[in-house]
Amino acid sequence: MPPAVKEKSKQAAHAKPPALPKRTHKTKFQADLAPSEDQMVRALKAELQMSSNSDFLSDALTLFRWAVSERKRGHRIVSESSTGERKILLFPRLERVAPEVTLPHVDIRWTDRELGSLAELVSGQPAEPTAALIRAMRR
Amino acid sequence: MAVTIRRLEEFDEVAGFDCGDEPLNNCLKRHAWTNQQKASIGVIYVAVDESAPRTVLGYFTLATSSVPRERFSQMYVRGLPPYDLPLVLLARLAVDRRFSGRGLGHALISEALKITLRVADEVGCRCIVTDAYPDKAGWYARYGFIPLEGASASGPQRMFLDVRTIRRASSFESSPAER
Repeated sequence: MPPAVKEKSKQAAHAKPPALPKRTHKTKFQADLAPSEDQMVRALKAELQMSSNSDFLSDALTLFRWAVSERKRGHRIVSESSTGERKILLFPRLERVAPEVTLPHVDIRWTDRELGSLAELVSGQPAEPTAALIRAMRR
Repeated sequence: MAVTIRRLEEFDEVAGFDCGDEPLNNCLKRHAWTNQQKASIGVIYVAVDESAPRTVLGYFTLATSSVPRERFSQMYVRGLPPYDLPLVLLARLAVDRRFSGRGLGHALISEALKITLRVADEVGCRCIVTDAYPDKAGWYARYGFIPLEGASASGPQRMFLDVRTIRRASSFESSPAER
């Protein structure tokens, strides 16, 4: 093998490999849809002139993320008709991220014994959660 | 049944609600909307089914309260933080008896406890308390509510659940057997 070539191949062995274009990791998303939901997706895709499920999901995600961020900031999502009639979107899952979970303040009557018992519990170690409580929090 | 739980709305159907307890029925039918919207003395959350999204199947009411530090006897003050004690009051919880036995009570208390945890995260609260009918105290005890001493023999039983316990429960992951 001619030396020049040998040298070149040595250099090649020590040279850093050329940077490959970054691969974007894509996650597959699969959903079981009821026939009515499948129909709804098809109808929406047709209405929006979308051909791929990926585009559909991507746009739906953008819209959902926007709704969540608005609700998180305490903004309400309102639709307004041409006559000025307004409707507020109430979507239970969105309400979960809304900051206005503050509840009105009320006074409760306490007996001295109840307060003693309360103080003892509050200042002590918390009880371990029961199985029903764990299930309730997982729901 | 596909149940959702949300805040009471003005045109929700409450007239047919019957949990078998007149004060709880009346509270929903006559006072709930006013209490929530005008008097602001509680927020009412209702359970509705997707098939009839205006018909209330069950409800609970939440409010916040606090115990001034000076109300505690000197004996206990040392173990408590130097502030009033903030708490959430689960004022009422009821299920229409036509729908009892379908897990609505579980769904309602689950939501009430999740809201309590959010209140604790956002504005701070130390526990949730409720005044349970004596015959329902066992049901609350299943969720870890502890009876406070000093309840009258005939009246409701005041019960307590520590937010730290709720938080711990929410951090549990499903066991391998349940996955």
